[in-house]
Amino acid sequence: MRPKPVAHFRRLPRNSRKTSSSVLHTPSDSSDVEALNAGINALTSVSSERRSRGHGQLQGLSIAVKDNICTSSLPTTCSSAMLHQYQSPFNATVVRLLRDAGAHIVGKTNCDEFGMGSLNLNSIHGAVVNPFQAQTTSNVPPTQTERRSAGGSSGGSAASVAAGICDAALGTDTGGSVRLPASYCGVVGLKPSYGIISRWGVVSFADSLDCVGILSKSVSTVKRVFDAVAVYDPRDPTAATPDLREKTRPLNSSFLPVTASTHQPRSLEGLRIGVPLEYFPSELDPSLVNVLRAVLRRLGEAGATLTSVTVPATQYTLSAYYVIASAEASSNLARFDSVRYGLRTATLPGATISKSSDVFAYSRSAGLGKEVQKRILLGTYALTADAFDNYFLQAQRIRLHVRRDFDRVFRHPCVLLAEPHPPRDGVDVLLHPSAIRTAPLLDRGEHGSRGGDKAVPGLSEYLQDIMTVPASLAGLPALSVPVGKGADGWPVGVSVVGQWGCDDLVMCVGKAIEELC
Amino acid sequence: MNLVRACPRRAQHQWKLRELWRINGLRGTHRQRERVEDRRWPGWEVVVGIEVHAQIKSRKKLFSGEWERSEARTTHTNDAPNTSVSCFDAALPGTLPTLNPKCVELAVRTALALNADVQRRSAFDRKHYFYPDLPSGYQITQRYAPLARGGYLRLSRDDFTVRITQLQLEQDTAKSTVHAGRRVSLIDLNRAGSGLMEIVSEPDMRSPEEAGDYVRTLQTLLRAVGSSDGSMELGSLRCDVNVSVNRYGQPPGTRCEIKNLNSIKFVMTAIASEVFRHIELLESGRTVTQETRGFDENKAETFKLRSKEDSPDYRYMPDPNLPPLLLSQEYIEHVRSSMPELPSETRVRLLSMGLSERDADVLMTIDAGREVGFDGEIGKGAIAMTQDLLGQLASRKETFSDNPVSVEHMGELIDMVQSGKVTGEFIGVSQYLWCPGTSGKTLLRHMISHRSLDYPSKLAKELGLIALSQDDSSLVKEWCLEAIKELPQQAEAVRKGNLPVLNRLVGKVMKLGRGRANAETVRTLLLELLREES
Repeated sequence: MRPKPVAHFRRLPRNSRKTSSSVLHTPSDSSDVEALNAGINALTSVSSERRSRGHGQLQGLSIAVKDNICTSSLPTTCSSAMLHQYQSPFNATVVRLLRDAGAHIVGKTNCDEFGMGSLNLNSIHGAVVNPFQAQTTSNVPPTQTERRSAGGSSGGSAASVAAGICDAALGTDTGGSVRLPASYCGVVGLKPSYGIISRWGVVSFADSLDCVGILSKSVSTVKRVFDAVAVYDPRDPTAATPDLREKTRPLNSSFLPVTASTHQPRSLEGLRIGVPLEYFPSELDPSLVNVLRAVLRRLGEAGATLTSVTVPATQYTLSAYYVIASAEASSNLARFDSVRYGLRTATLPGATISKSSDVFAYSRSAGLGKEVQKRILLGTYALTADAFDNYFLQAQRIRLHVRRDFDRVFRHPCVLLAEPHPPRDGVDVLLHPSAIRTAPLLDRGEHGSRGGDKAVPGLSEYLQDIMTVPASLAGLPALSVPVGKGADGWPVGVSVVGQWGCDDLVMCVGKAIEELC
Repeated sequence: MNLVRACPRRAQHQWKLRELWRINGLRGTHRQRERVEDRRWPGWEVVVGIEVHAQIKSRKKLFSGEWERSEARTTHTNDAPNTSVSCFDAALPGTLPTLNPKCVELAVRTALALNADVQRRSAFDRKHYFYPDLPSGYQITQRYAPLARGGYLRLSRDDFTVRITQLQLEQDTAKSTVHAGRRVSLIDLNRAGSGLMEIVSEPDMRSPEEAGDYVRTLQTLLRAVGSSDGSMELGSLRCDVNVSVNRYGQPPGTRCEIKNLNSIKFVMTAIASEVFRHIELLESGRTVTQETRGFDENKAETFKLRSKEDSPDYRYMPDPNLPPLLLSQEYIEHVRSSMPELPSETRVRLLSMGLSERDADVLMTIDAGREVGFDGEIGKGAIAMTQDLLGQLASRKETFSDNPVSVEHMGELIDMVQSGKVTGEFIGVSQYLWCPGTSGKTLLRHMISHRSLDYPSKLAKELGLIALSQDDSSLVKEWCLEAIKELPQQAEAVRKGNLPVLNRLVGKVMKLGRGRANAETVRTLLLELLREES
C-alpha cells in the first residue's frame, strides 16, 4: 500500500498542540495518516514538510523515525516525560543521510521510554496497538478487535510500517528492540552490525549495544535504506572505519552471486545454515517451532545445507546483557538532571531549593518512568565499588565468551580480530525464531499498564530477550523476516544472524526466505 | 602518518579487563630522604604529594569535535558566559565525543618533558557524580590506563627530583558561581569539556617550600613546551595537595587532601597550616583522620570538606564510546622531535654559540612564554630570529662584526614576525603545520645580502610579504572557492567527513594566495563553504 503524503506537523495523539509552523497544506493527506494512526498510536508527531524535495536513491520513499533519534524540525521525546518538550538543535546523521537521499520523513514514532522495554508499554504517549488485526478483519468494530502489543521498544516504527503509514521506519535496537516488534507486527526488521550506521544524534541507552535499525515490509526496501545510511561518520567514535568496511566486502560477495541470481528456481546450493540449539527454550511456543521447521524444509529443498550448531554462552547472555545495558544506561541517563533542559518539577515540601541534589532527585523521579528508574538503580548498583567485579566485570567476561562462541560457528572471519581463525566447516548464517511467542495481549486498561499486568507479566518481558540479546552482545547483524502465522493466527518472524559485517549476506538470505516462504 | 589511531578491532568492546581491576591506591613507595630538621617543627617529617590540573592550551576542547563551529573552542577568561558551548559540552542527548588529537600531542609533549613513559595504549573512563557544573553527570578521565606513567621533574633548588606517578587526560567541568543576593547558582558552560592534564606526583616533597618549588618548576616546563598557560590566577593550573606528618623514623602518617589551591603562596601556606594541625592532634594524643579539606584564604587555614567515609563512590566505568587510544612509537618519536627546546637546553645552546651567561639570560627573559602558541604551534621568538641572523652570517662566512642589521631594524623585524604582520609558510600538508616567520627569514636574508638600510616594514611592502588583513576576506573566499573548484574530489571527501583531506584544500589556497592568508582562517572558511554546499 502506498503511503499518503503528510502535510503538517503536530503531536499525536495525546498532545495535539500545534507547533510554530503547523500549517495544513493538504488536509486530506494528513487526515489519512491520522486515520491510519488513530487506532494504533504509532506516531508521536507528524512532519509538516512537503515530501520529496531531494533527488537520490531514496526518492519517493516515506520514512518514519523513532522518537529517540534527533530531528531538528520535530520533537525528540524518547517517550519520556523528561523530554516531553524537547526539540534537538540538530539532525542525527541518519536523518541527514535519509533526507540527502531524497526520502521524506513522515514523523516520529512511539517507543518505550529511552528504548527500555519489549512491549511498548513504557511510553508517555501510551501503548502502541499492533495493527496486524486491523488489516485482516476490517469489518470487525474496533472495540471488539483483539488488542495486542506491537512489541518494543521500536513498537511505533514496526506498527507504522505494518499499518502502511510509511514505506520504512528507523528504529533502534539495543537488545532486540527492532527485531521483536518486527516479528510481532509481521514486518522485516534489521539490526545491522554494531558501528555500521552512525549513532550521532541517537539518544544513548547503552552505547556499546545501541544500533540504528531499519524496518519495512520487504527486505529489498530495508536494503535500499540500509545502503543509503550505512556510511562512515567521523562524528561517531564507534563507527566502523572505511578500511574495516572494505574488509567485509569479500565476506558478503562470497555468496552474493548465488542469491542475487534471477534464475528460477533459485538455488541456495553452497549456503550453510546453522540452527543454534540454545534458541529453543521451554518457554518457546511450539507452533513457532513448526513454522521454523517449514522454513528450514524449504531452504533445504532449495539447496541450502542445514546443520545444528551450539552457542553455549547463550545461557548467560540475559544476565550479562541486563548488567551491561543497565550500567551504561545509568551513566548515559545521568545527564537528565533538569539543569540545562528537560522537565523541572516544582520542588516538593521538605525539599531544599538551594540543594542541587534535591532538584535532581525530584525532577528525575517525576520525569523518568518506573522501568527506566528500575534500570538506572540496577546499573548504578552494578557500578558501585563493591559490586563492580562481580557484576560489571563478570558481564564483560561473558560478553567475550559469547563473541568467541559465535566466532567458532561462522565460517567467515571476524574482521575485527587481528588473527581470526574461522572454522572451515562453519556456517554462513544462523537461523532461529525471532521471538518466543506471537504478539502478547495488551492489558485492557492500557494507560495504567506500566510495570506489567496479568496478560504480560513483568519477568517474561525480560525472558523474551533471550532470542535477540546474543547478537546484540556480539554486535552481529540480525534480520527478522516474517514467515507465517502461529497457532493463534498472528505473525511469526525468524531471525537470520551473520558474522560481523555480513549485513548484505544476511539480507540476501532474508530475501531468499521471503521469496520461498 | 597515522598519528592517533582508533583501535581497529572491536574497539568499543575490547577493554583489557585487567585494567578495570581496582587499583590499590595510586601512590608508590615512600622514599627515604636525608633528615633535614625543620625549625618550625623539630622532630617531625612532612610528606607532600601534589596533583596538578593543567588546562591544555588547545584551540578546541578535548572531545567537542572538529565539526562544531567556533563554539567548541577553549575559552578565554573574558568571554561572556555560555558563549563557547557546543552541543556535546551541554550534554545534549544524541551527542558523542570525538578526541581532539592536538590535546593528545600536547599531553605527550608534556609527558616526554617529564621523562615519563608514554603508554602505547591508554583508555578513557567515566567518573560519575551529580553536580550542576557537570553536564553529563560524569567526567571522562584516564584513571585506570593513563597516557603516561613514571617520570620525574628536577627542581631548581637543591638539585633533587620529584617522581611523577602518572599523567592523564580528562575533561574540565563547567564553572558554577553562587549569586548570594539572588540566592541562585549560576552555571557557565564555557569551561565544560576543556582538556586538562592531571599530573600526579609521588609523595616526594618534604616541606612547603619544596612543594612551591615543584609547582613553579612544573609551571615553567608546561609553558616552555606550550602545553598549558599554567596560570594559577586565571585557573588554568590548579593544585590538590596531599599532606601527612610523622616523627622521624616512624612510618608515614595519615594523609589529608587539600583541594583546589590556586596560587603557589596558598599551596605553601595551606601545607604549613595543615602540618601544624596534624602535629597538634598527634601531640595531644589524638589521631589524624583521612579526609578531604578546603583552604580558607582569609584565615590561612584548612577546613573539613568530607571524611573518607563520606567520599562518593564514583562508579568508574570504561567509556563505551571511546576506543582505547593507541600511539605508535613512530608518533611518539615524531612528537619528541618536534618539541620546542626546554629552557635548560636553550641556555646551553646559546652559551655554546658564544653568548655570555648574562646575554643568554637576558635573551631568555625577553623570550619567555613567547615561543609556543595554541595547539603547540611553535612561533618565532627573539632567540630564533637571533639564531637565524647568526646562522645566515655564518653561511656567508661573515662574522658578527660584519653584521649589517642594526639593533633597531632587528627589533622591528622581530615585532613584525610576532605580531603576524609578515606571514609564514605552509610547510606540510599531512601535519598542517603553520610556521610563522619564514617570510621573516626571507626578509632577514634580504637585509643581510643587500646590506639594506631600509626599515624591514618598508622592505616587506616592496617584496610583497605583508600578510593579508581582515579586510581582504573576500579575496581569501575567492581563493577558497577556486580551490574547491580545482580539487572537486578532495572537496567531496571533506564533505563526507574525511577531514584530513581538508589540508590539501588549505594547501591549495595557501598556494593560490602565495602564503599571504592565515591558515586557520582558511580552514574555518573552507569548512563553512563546504557545509553550506551540502
